[in-house]
Amino acid sequence: MASFEFLTPQTLPEAVDLLASWGEEAAVVAGATDLWVNIRSGKLAPKALVSLRALPSMRSLRHAGGDGNGGPGDGARTPGAATGTTLPGGAAGGGAASIAAGASPSGGALTIGAATPHADIEDSLWVAEHFPALQQACASLGSRQVRNVGTLGGNICNAAPCADSATALMLYDATVVLQGPDGERELPLGEFFIGPGQTRRGPAEVLTQIRVADPGPRTYSGYLKHTRRKGVELAMMSVGARVTLAEDGLTVRRARISLGVCAPTPTCSAGGELFLEGKPLTRENVARAAEIAAEESRVRDSWRGKAWYRREMIRVLVPRVIEQSGAFAAVETR
Amino acid sequence: MDQVVRLVVNGDAVTARVESDWNLLRLLREGLGLQGTKEGCGAGECGACTVILDGAAVNSCIFPAVAAEGAEVVTVEGLAAPDGTLHPLQQQFIDKGAVQCGFCTPGMLLSAKALLDRIPDPTEHQIKSALAGNLCRCTGYNQIIEAVQAAAADLAATPAAGARASSETEEVPA
Ligand SMILES: Cc1cc2nc3c(=O)[nH]c(=O)nc-3n(C[C@H](O)[C@H](O)[C@H](O)COP(=O)(O)OP(=O)(O)OC[C@H]3O[C@@H](n4cnc5c(N)ncnc54)[C@H](O)[C@@H]3O)c2cc1C
Ligand code: FES
Ligand code: FES
Repeated sequence: MASFEFLTPQTLPEAVDLLASWGEEAAVVAGATDLWVNIRSGKLAPKALVSLRALPSMRSLRHAGGDGNGGPGDGARTPGAATGTTLPGGAAGGGAASIAAGASPSGGALTIGAATPHADIEDSLWVAEHFPALQQACASLGSRQVRNVGTLGGNICNAAPCADSATALMLYDATVVLQGPDGERELPLGEFFIGPGQTRRGPAEVLTQIRVADPGPRTYSGYLKHTRRKGVELAMMSVGARVTLAEDGLTVRRARISLGVCAPTPTCSAGGELFLEGKPLTRENVARAAEIAAEESRVRDSWRGKAWYRREMIRVLVPRVIEQSGAFAAVETR
Repeated sequence: MDQVVRLVVNGDAVTARVESDWNLLRLLREGLGLQGTKEGCGAGECGACTVILDGAAVNSCIFPAVAAEGAEVVTVEGLAAPDGTLHPLQQQFIDKGAVQCGFCTPGMLLSAKALLDRIPDPTEHQIKSALAGNLCRCTGYNQIIEAVQAAAADLAATPAAGARASSETEEVPA
């Protein structure tokens, strides 16, 4: 492995200064679960790694509102605390089983520190209740060892087309907050990605937070990771969906369909979403939205799966994930 | 580029000089001579190198040694009591035949311990989820799951049995 300096700044401004002075030769390191593998294989050879480990505020889960199920910061994991014992989505490393029904009760915007490991989100009952697709995606990523260390910010900045937590966050119109030499800026997650491994992050910018607005009452969401085996596998493709129903409990006020490995970056199907919004949530309408999402996807062949199969599976998985979000059941029992 | 790391390993404070490109696995095996932790894939896939760091199971092969500054680490050498009494997990792995070649065993034990520290009475599903990142080419996993269930029962009956090692993992990670 090529040699590098491992720098551990004690404050965020110090981290930004270090990045600015090292320029392109430096890389931010959070959990290193992507970076270490890439350095070891010779794909990357940074001269300096700027670690986020000494910045405790970067590891945090904060939510407003709530329902007594944990105040701000309930995600800060305390070893020994038996959180998550009845969590949905705790399948053996994920896979098709990591799905649970879940309406998200109103009451909570969420702010996540970029260096928060996936396990903190996997274990948060509050996230499971309010942002089930995000909890399911985080629980499906890698192994427990990888989730204990690999962070949400790393998943986003690594910008893989299969990034699980990033694909789920697209459902909730998440924004990312970047801190650089010229101050702070915030942009929609969907605009952050340019291509595989490419983002709009400047070389001296640190991703500090991921922000998610309250999706509102009558919101249902879920995430389905399609893999050949259930445990510890990258997605062949993944599909997330979220619907927010209008007050009549039938009309779709807002729809989001996010896709992993169906384009060079995690994406949303604008056509499928537009088709659903303003219409009643019926199986026919969802099937049509799935059809549109499949048609407009930019799937391609790779060794993990063929384009035609991925396209076919979008048609299958969009209705399935909406079914499992509990949205149809809510409409039918309204 | 060599750097100094200070950390606590199995209850002992240690200071080690490492190269910045060393992983925690190399620090443990070569720096500290703790060769119970194994290297399989070296890429985060197999779990043979699993140790507990600040209460959480991690793959030491992809964890930078320098990033362990200030951390509390438990390796397989830290599981048994000072008088040599095995941890209930170790004893049950033997009793249930969950060890064949033994290469995966240290990592399995530490993933299992991190699970039981977090969820003392896990479901089978939770055990599978916690151990999904530990590959075993010999046992077929069933005996391992049985051993974890039996150890959970032992620990519930005599909480003191696992007390030594768990007192080392009470620090909340930064
Ligand atoms: C065995 C294994 C299985 C895996 N399985 C999955 C999986 O199923 N699904 C999946 O999506 N991923 C998977 N991964 C990939 C990886 O674990 C995740 O992408 C993880 O979220 C990366 O986070 P990290 O903190 O380790 O990032 P790092 O490796 O530290 O960083 C990744 C990249 O992001 C940059 N970066 C990190 N944090 C910041 C920040 N705050 N600001 C600016 N730049 C930053 C780094 O410079 C680097 O380019 C797997 C990895 C392994 C080793
Ligand atoms: S050696 Fe670390 S996961 Fe395989
Ligand atoms: S006992 Fe041989 S690999 Fe598990």
